[in-house]
Amino acid sequence: MRPNAWVAITAIIFGIAYGAQATGLPRAPIGNPMAPVYFPMGLAILMVLFGAMLFFFEARKGLNSDDKSKRPQFHFAGMKLILIVIALCLLYTVTFDRLGFVLSTMIFLMAMLTFINGKERTIANAVITICYSIGMWYVFVNVFQLALPSSPLGIF
Amino acid sequence: MGEIASHLLNGLSIALTPTNALWLVLGSALGTVLGMLPGLGPTTGIALLLPLTFSMQPTTALIAMCSIYYGAMFGGSRSSILLNVPGDGAAVASCFDGYPMAQQGRAEAALAISAIASFIGGLLATVAFVLIAIPMARFALKFGPPEYFVLMIFALAATAAISKAALLKGMIAMILGLMLTTVGLDHQSGMPRFTFGLSELQGGIDFVIVIIGIFGIGEVFENLEHIARAVVKPVQTKFGRIWISMEDWKRCVWPILRQAPIGFIIGILPGAGGTIAAMMAYNNEKQLSKHPEEFGHGAIEGLAAPESANNACSVGAMIPMFTLGVPGSGTTAVMLGALLIMGLQPGPLLFQHNPDIAWGVIASMILGNFVCALINLPLAGLLVRVLSVPGRILYPIIVVLAFLGVYTINFAVADFILLTILGFVGYLMKKFKIPTAPLILASVVGSMMEETFRQSMMLTNTSFGIFFRSPICMVLWALTIASIAWPFISEARAKKKTATAA
Repeated sequence: MRPNAWVAITAIIFGIAYGAQATGLPRAPIGNPMAPVYFPMGLAILMVLFGAMLFFFEARKGLNSDDKSKRPQFHFAGMKLILIVIALCLLYTVTFDRLGFVLSTMIFLMAMLTFINGKERTIANAVITICYSIGMWYVFVNVFQLALPSSPLGIF
Repeated sequence: MGEIASHLLNGLSIALTPTNALWLVLGSALGTVLGMLPGLGPTTGIALLLPLTFSMQPTTALIAMCSIYYGAMFGGSRSSILLNVPGDGAAVASCFDGYPMAQQGRAEAALAISAIASFIGGLLATVAFVLIAIPMARFALKFGPPEYFVLMIFALAATAAISKAALLKGMIAMILGLMLTTVGLDHQSGMPRFTFGLSELQGGIDFVIVIIGIFGIGEVFENLEHIARAVVKPVQTKFGRIWISMEDWKRCVWPILRQAPIGFIIGILPGAGGTIAAMMAYNNEKQLSKHPEEFGHGAIEGLAAPESANNACSVGAMIPMFTLGVPGSGTTAVMLGALLIMGLQPGPLLFQHNPDIAWGVIASMILGNFVCALINLPLAGLLVRVLSVPGRILYPIIVVLAFLGVYTINFAVADFILLTILGFVGYLMKKFKIPTAPLILASVVGSMMEETFRQSMMLTNTSFGIFFRSPICMVLWALTIASIAWPFISEARAKKKTATAA
């Protein structure tokens, strides 16, 4: 199917789901009770409308008549790397407050560099990780005076 | 005129305080470096560095962001000239003749003319900005909630309707951006909307997270796909004297002066950004040239014209943001958001209530052009070494910076999950060629838009007629329709032209 048709279908489904949620929104206790609902309802209608228009135009061209080589390509190796980075991002979310900024960032950055820059460059990866994590901590805490979580070890 | 001069002098004294001057220089250098890196344009650059400005005074923060913006516009052409890889869309036209010049051993002249043209274009546009800002701000005082609501519709529609092919996808992106702004406690009634019982969502989805996620992380995800196979091109880092000959100057002076006003006007218009300004300038000069056959093969005016236009455009883009309080591009949307975070009222009242901030920033634009020219001429050889850093090291570093930046907004790790999700959405949008600028613009103006919509409704007891009553509203509706119709009209004209030629 044409990539734009997928976009259209997603927009229609999303618009319907959002609209269904919007109808159930709590009403305002004072003033016009429907006031918090009008704007989201309008958005849901427009989303479904634009999605339907896009699907109609794509269907008119023929849903499978496009050049297949121009469709979005999802290569296994690339997707695998993206999913690994997403998993590391979630791990960073879990460890950030518990281990503190410097330690959690060291683990996060070292893991990302190992997967992206390569295992064979471990020393370079480690140097970048240590310098960057400590450098950023210093800049944010001492220069910009922003509080970052400390590690349970007491340093950083 | 005397009033403007006294405001400007006051602005210069503010911009030249040690802290502001330091950030002016640092911002220009950082912007130049960010502009050079392919994929990291001014919008992503400012979004990533936005949290750094939270601890600054508003004037300093705005000066830093503006200097990053025009630093990036200066820097964007460096990688176009030396690697044939544009730093951002606005620098695409600089590849056409900049890279052939570097291949012919004229990298010094190419680097010099791009900095000189950027400097002159930016400076001329800043003078125009100074002359236009006050009358425009005074005119904007006539705007009430309905006019503002329709103005925002115009800005969003113009951004979404930038091309016929992506018109509906742009509209879908815009609606998605507006939907994101409805998450959280309703500002007027205090009722929760789309929070799904999660207390973390009650404060809403901060637009900075949306910007960093869609632009920053989305860009990294897209690059990860081919990063392992990517080969780093060797970049020239040793140069002779970075300057131009008198003959080069004679060829470039008129193209630079001609294309700066065009770039400036395009910048003021919402939606049409630096990319369109630069391409238009390039095509104009090619048509006007006595030797158009040299274009694409190292014609120096083919580099000077787009560089002048895209810098003038970046200054012009700040006019609607400063005077009307409505952004016309992704970058100015980020800057407008920063103004809101600082508790400032963007728009015409900024000049009345905070003249020091408004004029301090305007004065910094003039100084910033000089600083950027100084950075980009003698230090070009040093700065381009950044281009030798491979993406497989650069992108993990950017990811950490993005997470750190997002953390400093609410100091809540729950935002990391939102950032990751939005990053993946941004990646999918790029894969399916859905424009991201309308989403960003909508995520910044969405709350304001709903507020003005509801204020207008309250004024008339729920009658939509209020949006069609004033002449300003009618003009803005006409402009909205024209901006949506324009891609169709221009395509029809192009077809007609081709048919006539055949």
